[in-house]
Amino acid sequence: MGRVIAMRVLGSVGAVFGATVLAFMIMRVLPGNPARLILGPLATSQAVTALNHHIGLDQPLYTQYWRYISDFFQGNWGYSYSDGASVRKLIGERAPATIELALFSFVITMLAAVGLALLSTYRHRPITDRIVRGASYLGFGTPPFFLALLLLIVFFSTLHILPGPEGRLGVQAAAPAAVTRMYTIDALLAGELGTFWEALKHLILPGLALGISSFSFLVRLLRANLLEVSREPFITVARGKGLRRWTAFRRHALPNAFLPTLTAGGLVLGEFLAGSVLIERVFNWPGVGSLVFDAIVKQDYAIVQTFILLSAVMFVLVNLAVDLLYAVIDPRVRIPTVATA
Amino acid sequence: MDELALSVRNLSTVYDTGESVVHAVRDVSFDLRRTERLGVVGESGSGKSALALSILGLIEPPGRVVEGEIVLGGRDISKLSDRQLGAVRGKEIALVLQDPSSALDPVKTIGSQIVEALTVHEPDLRRAAARRRAAELLREVDISQAERRLDDYPHQYSGGMRQRVAIAIAIANNPRVLIADEPTTALDVTTQAQVLALLDRLVDEHRTAVILITHNLGIVSDFCDSVAVMYAGRFVETSGVDHIFVAPTHPYSEALLKCVPNPERLAEGPLPAISGFPPDLSQLPSGCSFAPRCPVGRDLPQCHEQAPVPHRVSGPAGEASVECHFAEQRIREVAV
Repeated sequence: MGRVIAMRVLGSVGAVFGATVLAFMIMRVLPGNPARLILGPLATSQAVTALNHHIGLDQPLYTQYWRYISDFFQGNWGYSYSDGASVRKLIGERAPATIELALFSFVITMLAAVGLALLSTYRHRPITDRIVRGASYLGFGTPPFFLALLLLIVFFSTLHILPGPEGRLGVQAAAPAAVTRMYTIDALLAGELGTFWEALKHLILPGLALGISSFSFLVRLLRANLLEVSREPFITVARGKGLRRWTAFRRHALPNAFLPTLTAGGLVLGEFLAGSVLIERVFNWPGVGSLVFDAIVKQDYAIVQTFILLSAVMFVLVNLAVDLLYAVIDPRVRIPTVATA
Repeated sequence: MDELALSVRNLSTVYDTGESVVHAVRDVSFDLRRTERLGVVGESGSGKSALALSILGLIEPPGRVVEGEIVLGGRDISKLSDRQLGAVRGKEIALVLQDPSSALDPVKTIGSQIVEALTVHEPDLRRAAARRRAAELLREVDISQAERRLDDYPHQYSGGMRQRVAIAIAIANNPRVLIADEPTTALDVTTQAQVLALLDRLVDEHRTAVILITHNLGIVSDFCDSVAVMYAGRFVETSGVDHIFVAPTHPYSEALLKCVPNPERLAEGPLPAISGFPPDLSQLPSGCSFAPRCPVGRDLPQCHEQAPVPHRVSGPAGEASVECHFAEQRIREVAV
């Protein structure tokens, strides 16, 4: 198993290295000289050379690359052009909102996918199965931002049962005492049930909009896995021992069907953490996604670059965690096959 | 007179997919005496496995048993609920499947899968006691270092060992009847012989009646007391094991026997094959289902129009029940 873990960690380091090289090279390949951009068209070429020297652009590429990644991993992510604050501080302030939304969406997506996949595969239910498959196609084909608008029109403008695009809390509500800076958790820690409910209500629509396409993906994957596993001979053997249908399904079909889902779950969580830019925009969610959206509009490169690289690193880390978890719970990975006569 | 272990009457199973109705098992009746070993032979798709699952009540939708009585130890189990059948399966009647690589759950230990077979019928059994019994069962199927190997996972066992585990699970509660569905087909030849010898010893010791489903007539002659030839979901010829090798009466049985390779036939050139294909079980002909391929009845209107009833015939190696219009005539020819 040590070997498996070492291979996975090494693979992840390789993936991060690849991502940094790619991000670094793209910035070098893009046309335009940063010093010239900063100084403006009227600056003398001596001034441009001096600034190039000052910011290190006259150094060899590998030196620049080394500075670039050592700065990144030390948290020196530069400063925002538009408001002068450090990128690290800006992202740090916004991160809890994004993480809270991603986790919430992840939980409801997983629960819904598992529930519906079970409903459509446990026992022969052709009609339920058809409905679940239809719903998943619909989810696949609907762009999340469009669904976000649709949800707002139905549940906010028409039915008035959920809050509109006003961020994490209503205007009258005050944020709970900051511990994790995830409002639902902080509200519970502070015992403020009203605030908790308020924060939860604000999470529902963006959470649904963010989760829909991943839900469709997961439910189809799970359904296929469950169908395949429940036709395995070992299920018949388990039933042949005298196990009731549900017991055989729970003990033998579910664990086998969920193993591959774990990988998919990791991908989905990584995607939620990195990919909520448009959804945050639609719901005025004050997270990293909104920050990046504004940064793109303002051509605030420091923020965008950091976000891209951070997303890549996070994605790799989440998947590494999943791989390691896999190695722990799947005996076929954990214990090597011993050739026995 | 031996008591009956299992008696099946008029068992029929269909798979109704909405578009077509596949008649997998058609009106099958047979008796299995205590300690009898019945071999069920036939081509792939002749309904052998569906028969096994039907007897155990494990046919899954869109399949269903439409008719029939299954009397096990004096009790009809065909009308029992799934819960009631749970108490019968594994306890009174057990199953061994073909492919040992998929018959065990890959993410559960061997020990836990054997223990499960015990505790489901004895909920009060203590962990330590169940584990001891599981180790005994492993020893009984000739797996060395049984105690230690309980904690292994299936992928740490070889194919032959996995099939031994499957057998250990099947005999865990000393069932009255064991249904073995091609138990050696997926194994290499040496392992096949070992597993068959093991099965032979165990069912002998435990006085278990066996239904051995196979397409290998060699195994039938070694292992079984009686044999049923299955074609298109029906038992077309049922007899003692000697009869089928001496006087195969149904044209299909005869053709099947001719396809068995043996040294004496080598001189006669390549093995014959049965021409044509097994019938589509969703569109069965109205007459004898073997008629289109039958060397005897291929061109006879009677065979294509009228379904044969079972004929009891007596040949040089005992009696047989044969579903062929020409059974009497053929047995006389064979007997001469």
